Amino acid sequence: MINTTNSEIQNQQISYVDKILSYYKERTLFSILLTIFVILFLYGIFSTNNYLTIFNFKTIIRDAALYGIMAIGLTFVTLSGNFFLLSLKETAAICCVSFAVGMSTGFGVEAWVGNFAISLSVTLLIGLVAGVIQGFFVGLGNNPIVVTLGGAGIMYGLAAWWSDNLVVSFRRPHDAEWLGTGSFLGLPTITWSFILFAITAELLLKRTNFGRKVYLIGANRAAGKATGHENFSMAIITFTICSLCCAFVAVAFAAQMSSAQANYFSAEFGSSGDMTILVIATVLVGGNSIMGGYGSILRTSVGAVFIAMIDNMMVLNGLNSGPRVVGVGLMIVFSILVFALFAKGSRAQE
Amino acid sequence: MVDPILKISNVSKNFGAIQALKKANFEINKGEIMGLVGENGAGKSTLVKIISGFDNAYDGDYFLNNKRVNFDNPVKAELEGIAIAQQELSLIPNMSVAENIFLAGSKVKKFATIKKLAEEAKPYLTLVGLNDIDPSIRANLLSVGEQHLVEVARLLTHEAKILILDEPTAALGEAESRRILDMVRKIAATGKSIIYISHRLDEIFKITDRITVLRDGETQAISNTKDLNVNKLAEVMLGRELKNMFPPKSSQIFEDTHLEINNLWPDGLIEPVNFKIKKGEILGLSGQLGSGAGEVLASIAGSLKNRSGRLKMNDKEFMPKNPQEAIKNQIAYCSSDRKKDGLFLGRPIFENLTSPALKFISKFGINMGYNESQFSKSLALDFLIDVKRVKDEAGLLSGGNQQKVALGKWMSISPEILLVNEPTRGVDVGAKSEIYQRMRELANKGTTIVFASTDIQEVTYLPDRVITFYQGLMIGEFSEKNIETTNIIKQITDPFNETNL
Repeated sequence: MINTTNSEIQNQQISYVDKILSYYKERTLFSILLTIFVILFLYGIFSTNNYLTIFNFKTIIRDAALYGIMAIGLTFVTLSGNFFLLSLKETAAICCVSFAVGMSTGFGVEAWVGNFAISLSVTLLIGLVAGVIQGFFVGLGNNPIVVTLGGAGIMYGLAAWWSDNLVVSFRRPHDAEWLGTGSFLGLPTITWSFILFAITAELLLKRTNFGRKVYLIGANRAAGKATGHENFSMAIITFTICSLCCAFVAVAFAAQMSSAQANYFSAEFGSSGDMTILVIATVLVGGNSIMGGYGSILRTSVGAVFIAMIDNMMVLNGLNSGPRVVGVGLMIVFSILVFALFAKGSRAQE
Repeated sequence: MVDPILKISNVSKNFGAIQALKKANFEINKGEIMGLVGENGAGKSTLVKIISGFDNAYDGDYFLNNKRVNFDNPVKAELEGIAIAQQELSLIPNMSVAENIFLAGSKVKKFATIKKLAEEAKPYLTLVGLNDIDPSIRANLLSVGEQHLVEVARLLTHEAKILILDEPTAALGEAESRRILDMVRKIAATGKSIIYISHRLDEIFKITDRITVLRDGETQAISNTKDLNVNKLAEVMLGRELKNMFPPKSSQIFEDTHLEINNLWPDGLIEPVNFKIKKGEILGLSGQLGSGAGEVLASIAGSLKNRSGRLKMNDKEFMPKNPQEAIKNQIAYCSSDRKKDGLFLGRPIFENLTSPALKFISKFGINMGYNESQFSKSLALDFLIDVKRVKDEAGLLSGGNQQKVALGKWMSISPEILLVNEPTRGVDVGAKSEIYQRMRELANKGTTIVFASTDIQEVTYLPDRVITFYQGLMIGEFSEKNIETTNIIKQITDPFNETNL
């Protein structure tokens, strides 16, 4: 520091200013989110009965868990610079149909009826294949939006075909109830799964070479290629992770409903109608960079809880699904606006 | 003596700590062709930006027709008759030539058929020497040189009085360049003033009336072209004392061939090249933009497609299909555009430094961070990057420090062969010197270094051997004693005596 040249010192002063500025900008964003969070929380307490109850709290984190897990999967894709899968709910659709078919008919084999392990394995296999195929095409350099739009159509069609567009139900009690409706130490199993997924994913991203490559390729794909990290394998792996997360959520949801239908995740799903939009919103509201290379599982998790909280408040205030979908839409627009205003400049994206 | 129609006096401009212009002066008379020359980073582009209104945050005075002006956007400059043709083409490829010419919408009716447009475009095309083409064909059917001419025709529709041509011939062959030069003369004869920027000194001498030389942001001289010759101009451009920036050359005699390049034919070259690289030497590939020198390097590193070629290294024959394979074979390639594929600007410096060497800092794919922090710190120390800043985003660094990171990251794999395309593009003088020093140290330790550069000083004073390229052809080779600026300039600008300078 002492023996640096004059220009060097000037450089440093400038970059300290830059640094403080960028911290400030990031804090601004954070404080805006926090302020809204607190306002809504207070509003919730004072305007709504039953808001500050443990039961309601559990509902919030339970809701958050379902799309939170899918959002964790999607975070890998988004961080690696491959944007989104538009086939999230369709992957979940074919997977939940597959699980329900397995539980109710054993895929045609008498001995497998109601066998959780086999139904789960087949379902995860379907998720894996869906992820690998879509990732392969994206890895070849095709646009992820187009590829997954195609994948979405195919998978939804197959799911509807397979189930004759009917509800496939299986009888309670069944082997999957622990996952669907069970709880452990007072928290629903699905919430525990969410926590487990989140921790594993965060470790994977922050502590492994794979995770580092996700960030590097996402930050600059050309530089990633130049340093020996190709997007081809990265696209396949991240798409597979994401699709497997979808498959897991589908299994949990089917287990909870004890039935499955191709459009469970399109219209009927819990809070806000369209699962794909909800999951993408979760990733974005948390503040992960839409261009990749910047973000974390923590952000996604915060996004999930945030959305679940607002949604929950809308439910308690008696709003039906229409206005709630509008709410989710507004949250996406809001988060993108805030990021465009505050975050982009500091991250030296050009 | 008439007053100049445009005059810049004592203009200074800072970018952070770097002073791009230091009290620079510039002027141009009506109907004059003024050459603007200087090395990369001398401040030419900054000056042009100020003149054409892209940049108005400067100190100093800018007079147009004896009136002090300050354009806060390019449109205002355009209204005053200042038009610029950028080095990169800005035509819309699948629109017709005529539509491209009237793109800005001036001088034509709101609704017009292509036929009508074509008719109206004719006179402008004739003016730039394109009387033989049909204005209704798509712009991308024209050759690159013709597209440049169309671009100039577009500027003429704006009633430009002062035209700025930024390296219009950089990507062109001799015949096409000649058309551009003819056009420039023709337009100047109609009373328009032209600022002509080029690295090709032969062209500058052929067409300009006067020449302004910039060096390190200062105007060195505004002199009549008649009073100068190539050597004198080069001397003014380069400045002698800069010789001291370079480390002494190696006294070693290089014998062992380290890398043999056989029949390598990268995209962008006219014929395959063959050459050998000796262990521990610094080999310079010299050539102007579009000469193919950079393409050869990129191709060796597997980041550019090639039609044929084998590499032979340590008795092993191979040809990397992608950078990954090159890295496996201990070949590192630092590209010329660090923002595009050299750095992860949004990621911390230490991640940039270790990016090619993830397997060295991890065990079974798991990286707990301790090894990495040690490793990246030692790399940063090595390349004189401030160790305290390794956690900052790389994008926050100055150009020179960014380049050090882009280059330094390759030390993480201790490469046998280091290929560097434009080692010091957009880098300030201090960092330049440090980078040269470091490259020489590496070579002395046995790393073989090949670099491609358009910077003539760098090519003269840094390497132990130079190979020259001209428009996709390998021209000649200079070893140690014969490396001289004038010889090299001759070979990279006019090796076949086409211009009879």
